[in-house]
Amino acid sequence: MSRQIARRKFLRGVGTAMSLPLLEGMLPLRALAQSEKSAAAQKIIRPNRMMFCFVPNGMHMADWTPTSEGAFELPWIMEPLKNVKENLTVLSGLAQHNAFALGDGGGDHARSTATFLTGVHVKKTDGADIKGGISVDQLAAQQVGNLTKFPSLEVGIERGRQAGSCDTGYSCAYSSSISWRSESTPVAKETNPRLVFERLFGNGEALEEAASRQRRELYKKSILDFVLEDANSLKAQLNTRDQQKLDEYFTGVREIEQRLNRVEKESESNVPLSAKPSGIPQDPGEHIRLMSDMVVLAMQADLTRISTFMFANDGSNRSYRNIGISEGHHELSHHGRDPVKQEKIRQINRFHITQLAYMLEKMKSIPEGEGTLLDNSMIVFGAGISDGDRHNHNDLPILLAGGGAGTLKTGRHIRYEKDTPLNNLFLAMLDRVGVRADTLGDSTGRLEQLF
Amino acid sequence: MKRSLTLLQEPKSPKWLPAIGAIVLGSGLFSGVALYAAAPEKARYVPLKPSPTTKPASANPASGAVKIAPKTTSLPAKPIAAKPNFERDVAPMVKQYCLSCHSGADAAAGLALDDLKAAGVLKDRHVWELVAQNVESGHMPPKNKPAPTRVQRDRLVEWIQGTLTAVDCQIKDPGQVTLHRLNRAEYNNTIRDLVGVDFKPAADFPSDDVGYGFDNIGDVLSISPLLIEKYFNAAEQITEKAIVLPDVKTVRFNADKLEGNDDNGGDGGNVLLGVTGSTAAVDYDFAKDGNYLLRVRAFGQQFGNEPVRMSLQLDGKELRLVDVTAVEKEPQNFEETITVKAGKHKLTAVYTNNYKVVDAPDPKDRGDRNLLIEHFEIKGPLGEPQLPESHRRLIFQKPTAENSEATARVILRAFARRAFRRPVLDAEVERMVRPVNLAQKQGESFERGIQLAMQAILTSPHFLFRVETNPKNAKADPKYGGEKIGLVDDYQLASRLSYFLWSSMPDEELFDCAARGTLKDPVVLEKQVRRMLKDEKAQALADNFASQWLTLRNLDTAAPDPDYFPDFNEDLRTAMRQETSLFFQAIVREDRSIMDFLDADFTYLNEPLAKHYGIAGVSGSEFRRVVFDALQAKQRGGLLTQASVLTVTSNPTRTSPVKRGKWVLETILGTPPPPPPPNVPELVEAKKEAAATFTTVRQRLQEHRKNPACASCHARMDPIGFGLENYDATGAWRTLDGKAPLDASGTLTSGESFRGPTQLKSILKAKKNEFAMALSAKLLTYALGRGLEARDKCVVQDIAKSLTKNDYRFSALVVAVAQSDPFRKRRSNEGKVQ
Repeated sequence: MSRQIARRKFLRGVGTAMSLPLLEGMLPLRALAQSEKSAAAQKIIRPNRMMFCFVPNGMHMADWTPTSEGAFELPWIMEPLKNVKENLTVLSGLAQHNAFALGDGGGDHARSTATFLTGVHVKKTDGADIKGGISVDQLAAQQVGNLTKFPSLEVGIERGRQAGSCDTGYSCAYSSSISWRSESTPVAKETNPRLVFERLFGNGEALEEAASRQRRELYKKSILDFVLEDANSLKAQLNTRDQQKLDEYFTGVREIEQRLNRVEKESESNVPLSAKPSGIPQDPGEHIRLMSDMVVLAMQADLTRISTFMFANDGSNRSYRNIGISEGHHELSHHGRDPVKQEKIRQINRFHITQLAYMLEKMKSIPEGEGTLLDNSMIVFGAGISDGDRHNHNDLPILLAGGGAGTLKTGRHIRYEKDTPLNNLFLAMLDRVGVRADTLGDSTGRLEQLF
Repeated sequence: MKRSLTLLQEPKSPKWLPAIGAIVLGSGLFSGVALYAAAPEKARYVPLKPSPTTKPASANPASGAVKIAPKTTSLPAKPIAAKPNFERDVAPMVKQYCLSCHSGADAAAGLALDDLKAAGVLKDRHVWELVAQNVESGHMPPKNKPAPTRVQRDRLVEWIQGTLTAVDCQIKDPGQVTLHRLNRAEYNNTIRDLVGVDFKPAADFPSDDVGYGFDNIGDVLSISPLLIEKYFNAAEQITEKAIVLPDVKTVRFNADKLEGNDDNGGDGGNVLLGVTGSTAAVDYDFAKDGNYLLRVRAFGQQFGNEPVRMSLQLDGKELRLVDVTAVEKEPQNFEETITVKAGKHKLTAVYTNNYKVVDAPDPKDRGDRNLLIEHFEIKGPLGEPQLPESHRRLIFQKPTAENSEATARVILRAFARRAFRRPVLDAEVERMVRPVNLAQKQGESFERGIQLAMQAILTSPHFLFRVETNPKNAKADPKYGGEKIGLVDDYQLASRLSYFLWSSMPDEELFDCAARGTLKDPVVLEKQVRRMLKDEKAQALADNFASQWLTLRNLDTAAPDPDYFPDFNEDLRTAMRQETSLFFQAIVREDRSIMDFLDADFTYLNEPLAKHYGIAGVSGSEFRRVVFDALQAKQRGGLLTQASVLTVTSNPTRTSPVKRGKWVLETILGTPPPPPPPNVPELVEAKKEAAATFTTVRQRLQEHRKNPACASCHARMDPIGFGLENYDATGAWRTLDGKAPLDASGTLTSGESFRGPTQLKSILKAKKNEFAMALSAKLLTYALGRGLEARDKCVVQDIAKSLTKNDYRFSALVVAVAQSDPFRKRRSNEGKVQ
């Protein structure tokens, strides 16, 4: 099979042909043949993705945690994952200790969101001096994001809340993002699949001729120069706090600048128009699946290797009528051990898992090198709250899917010592995408037994 | 902790302050205290308790049914008359309850309170605020220690707050507003007013985060790379919509691109039309409406006694019938001006007079007449392009070849002044001209260059942020600890005003005031406020302030269960939103009393909503003002009875008295309940089973209140919600809760009892000062784009006072906010992170 044909096959899921920059992931086959590099070297060269899927309001743990360690039976909530069972690792006993109140009173939904990928106890404020910590995905994006057109991709299903307070005493900035670029800046997420598509592939208009494209890039550079000059001279006039706000602007502009430079090196790519979504579906399941398509497409085309995906915002009171549940999710999560409410909660949990199964199966169907896209990915799925009624942030429901480019031994349930920081898992994942970090948030080391 | 110490070392206590106490600080103070309570480093604005001089809300004389209930709780129904006093109320209590732990070198949390003599309250304001918070919330003293009574606690807190407020009223620190980027609504409106294209480019921007209940808070409005990307894309779209490029093009369709119905085929690059009715045609997608020149190049193979004839047709209709006298090698151009609408049109050449003789005896008489077409050309649009209004406004001067750069300067200076909302410097204009030159060097038009320059302006931080610099006229006053306070620059004030009232940029009149430097004059300011409130752009107050003040933006995601509420649909949702918006706008426009928010004899309805309310005689989807008759007035009137408010405070399947009560406490009375305990204790199983047998929400909540951890707050929230139980979860009137008879009575912790919504409203209407304070605080937060701090209480009091003096008119509220120190002034603390 010629390389060209292999790449076409690899793209078949898209529905139409598109030519892409040659994936580094395809290189090792040739590289190995040439130099017979060790398996260790292969690990480094194979692209490894990290993705974090977040669900709100806790989990019905009784039907989540497998009863046995090692090889395990799928608990009721996870049953929809049967086709990817051997690609899963269920991790029990992990905690985000800093999501607990620790003297700050209510606001567990906001805290569980802002702490989930940071492991930092955020400052309680309704607005002034927002302070959290950098999240694992952004740390990775800052160090290895330059390998792809988009350092990272943040998507979700629900927009941030538009009025009132999101959670007692916490600004909504804490509740709408799990991804944090710095300790003061949460990263906005895109909730419209069409806009994600357009961001990744352009708006689908016919390709410009090379000359006019070059001209456009020249113009864009001149505009970037202009605004950076403006920002630099403005910065000198501002006090420190305002300068910090302006720094957010600088970061964004520089990212566009860098992307422009990267794009120049790339060959032209055709847009898979048939995959373009038309908007936001009413049905929450369809919405999640369509968004999954976009993320998978981005990973498949190697436009990014890092992504966060919020299936809903924490504290979300959405009702899942599509599965016959008309009460709000948050309202139900305060079940007070009422079996009727608990039944509905576990159905919502299973509904979310069903959507995850769709995404994982899709990734598994996409061949890449000698394996699949799923083999070369690490997908964390979980919640920042364990029991929605108690709002506890230990014994979190955490699932790790994918083979991590040969760095994870899957098909197991591992029980860790109580209150092991979830961030230990993140450190272990950072290793596997080539990011050196000694600590992150409240980490105490690297999570072991994963391989 | 360095920062805390800095704060505490300054400013020097002014002499006029009573020396009331000193607090010895340990190094771990703030972290230590934070362990006990939610203690933000900067004290949050906590609305004042009704001042002792306020008459306690008593029975409305007009409503005989309202009575004061006997005091049954430990909460004070009425403040003790005398003002709290340090010697009597503070010092002994601190000594008795605090010093056993908080004293000496090893004081708990590093907080020693034993040296109570030397310094002023201002110096230690943050410590005092922490003491007040911890004592008020009950976190201190700890559970196993002797504790003061509720009344003692309140006296201490009242003293601390009163003393601090008195100090603040002297100092009038305007606080600081963080560099504020335009939020989505502001971006849309600004583009509308600046460029003249109203297509809401920010609709696809990521949501703006909310802080202090609003989405225009400088501290919270962050910029992510995604947003920057959207800014660049939006700027491109905006300028391309606003400015039309000269685009007269000529498109040629050679023979191989022409469609024919004749199989005779081409002949050396021509299309041969051989029989009558043969055609050559092109389907062309015209980009714009306008005139175009159609040019057909053709010749004939002549035969017989008339020339070749060709009919030129547009969409099958003949434009002209022409004689094609030309012969091969000397083709002729046939031109026709056509007028078309944008879109696809078919242009056709039809051969109309074939003549052929094959069987004449004399070969000279034999022959064949044919039409041959070389190509079609379409040129256009012709003449002056149809320029949109925005184009003529932005490019108000035409460049000539010699002066295009000078023209660009004039155009861009004018645009940038409005975009940056201030005069621009020559050096800035010079840089703006660069993209224009660049485009022209690339062989593109002047207009294209202006588009690019405007894209640069629209992505500049000077446009995207409301930049404020430290006031030039600022003076350092020892009272502020060396920090300078001064009036903000007039242009910046113009922006503060326009973004407050219009959520948009200033108009020319405001710019004029700013240029003359008169806006800082309170009289001019008031005149402008009144003018602006009358402008239709003031609808922004309803769209952006009211919708968030009343939490109505959550209506978008409210999801009443169709099984319970089959009548709820999207039309009704829209109508609910519209009712409250129109009601709010009426109060602004007619400058009515803010008390009308609580009760009014009118509202705005359309047919679906009127049906929902059971009000007859309203038909059609148009909204109109409806004045209630006596019967209707028993059910409706004021915000609390509007379906929008009632729906956002409900659960999908049922009402929530808790949410409604909380909403009233927060929105109307400005006394939000404290957050629930972090880990809601699980109810005992036995009680749980009992709970399952309860039929009404009221019974369930009564059970809940048996838990002392829940009781104190729910006793404040639930009764208010009960008073609104006559409205179901979508705001429709009802008299039964399921099958149980409905009980809409309740007793507030302040003692008043009521039965039904009308009596509840009477009680709330009597709490004029609370409502005035609550609304003033919300409007000030929105106007400033920052959270209020403890020291802003004084300002809020002043605004509320001004309302009282002016019959509670809405305009008085807005004028007072605009004239307040925090709105007009700015504190510069250079290089210091506050």
